[in-house]
Amino acid sequence: MTKKILEICIGTPCYLMGASELIEYYNNLESRIKDKIELRTSHCLEDKCEKGPVIKFDDKLYFDVTPERLSKIIRKKTQ
Amino acid sequence: MSNNTISEVVKLKRKLYVELVKMMIKENLVEEIDYLPKKMIRDDTPRYRCCEFKERAIFSERIKMALGYSTLNNKNIELHELASDLYKADNINNIVEVIEQACDSCPIDKYIVTDACRNCVAHKCLNSCPADAIVIIQNKAFIDQNKCLECGKCARECPYGAILENSRPCVRVCEVDAIKSDAKRQARINKEKCVVCGRCIVACPFGAIADKSSIVQVTDKILKKDEKTAALIAPSFVGQFGFKVSPETVKYVLLEIGFDEVIEVAEGADRVALEESREAIESLENDRILLSSCCPAFKKMIVNDFPDLKDNLSHTDSPMLTTAEKLKRYNSDINTVFIGPCTAKKEEAADSEVVDYVLTFEELIALITGFEINLEKVIERREIRDASKFGRQFAYSGGLKGVIEELSEGKIKADNAEGLAKCIKKLTNLKAGKSNFDFLEGMACKDGCIGGPGSMINPKAARKLIENFAERSNLKLK
Ligand code: SF4
Ligand code: SF4
Ligand code: FES
Repeated sequence: MTKKILEICIGTPCYLMGASELIEYYNNLESRIKDKIELRTSHCLEDKCEKGPVIKFDDKLYFDVTPERLSKIIRKKTQ
Repeated sequence: MSNNTISEVVKLKRKLYVELVKMMIKENLVEEIDYLPKKMIRDDTPRYRCCEFKERAIFSERIKMALGYSTLNNKNIELHELASDLYKADNINNIVEVIEQACDSCPIDKYIVTDACRNCVAHKCLNSCPADAIVIIQNKAFIDQNKCLECGKCARECPYGAILENSRPCVRVCEVDAIKSDAKRQARINKEKCVVCGRCIVACPFGAIADKSSIVQVTDKILKKDEKTAALIAPSFVGQFGFKVSPETVKYVLLEIGFDEVIEVAEGADRVALEESREAIESLENDRILLSSCCPAFKKMIVNDFPDLKDNLSHTDSPMLTTAEKLKRYNSDINTVFIGPCTAKKEEAADSEVVDYVLTFEELIALITGFEINLEKVIERREIRDASKFGRQFAYSGGLKGVIEELSEGKIKADNAEGLAKCIKKLTNLKAGKSNFDFLEGMACKDGCIGGPGSMINPKAARKLIENFAERSNLKLK
């Protein structure tokens, strides 16, 4: 099975808005779900810096992402 | 993730800092600042209060503190008036303040009657209450929260322990009991007792407690071409600026945005290490147990709450003051900006002649963002070579302890305490003559400065990065 790609922007504007909490969330995922995802980091995702933290999951961009939202996004798409 | 969670209020504060810096750069702060609450608090902004109007009123107070002004002393002043003279900011007053409008929404009733209430005949609670706040409804005591003074008499009187104290998040984390409720049941900080550790700022879920910032003043200084400004970066800075951002890149960027000089505070820490280990040996000969003086919160707590131990405090200046003093000695006109994880340093700086401003890492990253620089994209570097591995270790708990043991060649038996609660324990034992160390390193923050309220990353990760950085130094301690 090909893994779904989770790209988290760690550029300074996104970092200031809590990108590290998203990375931490990914690191603590249960392996059942984590195994289906490949994590990549980015320096900036399509210049949407004003709306950080920005992520891309399965080719779709999401803005203002919190760990809670990330959890919903991931769980919905990895069922 | 750091110990400090990034809630919506924290994000809002950070966005505000970025906005202020951008306005400084565009030179339109005074003209635009009155519109900022409306611009930043819209009807779809996540909110904690009833309506965006109240949210905006609170936000205005937040702006005052971000400009370095007191919210308590500037109640009916418009933002543009404050912004038009940034250097009147009363930074010397309380660094940490409660924003009154924000605090009233803390829903916690301090005393609550539990089901253990048996409606006993004695009604000791009812009789003890000085405010007549207790009534009996359906065989159970009931506290009228509008009348309650939070004095706690009922809880002490109830023979069944049925009344519980339910403390507010801010009160619970304040180890020096500096927070009390006033007649309107709002939190109040006693400035004398407060050691500015910053815990309550992090703990309040409504962001009702804030620290004053110097971010606009520092932005102004670095934009001024005719003034010299130095950045004094705390030993804990390594790794705080982003996952792949090296210390050398941080230095490059600071010089790029207008600082004229960047120096590691570990440089001053090196000299403190030498001086303090010499003092420790001397104290040992005189049977005096020595207490470290680098952490201003630890120091202030001793002065306030352990006056008997005041003379045990080391006379050596903190690394921040030591570094700043040297810079000012060679160039008295230079502005000195300490950059660290610490709120307590804001008060230490305000009391000193040599440190002009303090920024936390959080504030500095907001400042860099305001300059539209993305550190992760910067590849340039500037060599950093100010300090030995000894000074660089001051950032985490146990660091100074190790340094003192090593420099005294094992003659000094050193111990350490991290977090005010543990410091209090060790000091209480020391006072009672029940301790077995010659030197105590005390740090108000858990894990030491890397766990400070203005830090950005997990203290464990920070510690590893700093250890590597310390090992990389090839300077010898003179
Ligand atoms: S001592 Fe710390 S927790 Fe207590 S009021 Fe001051 S900053 Fe807040
Ligand atoms: S431990 Fe460090 S960061 Fe914390 S209050 Fe003391 S000096 Fe400041
Ligand atoms: S830095 Fe995250 S989108 Fe630009």
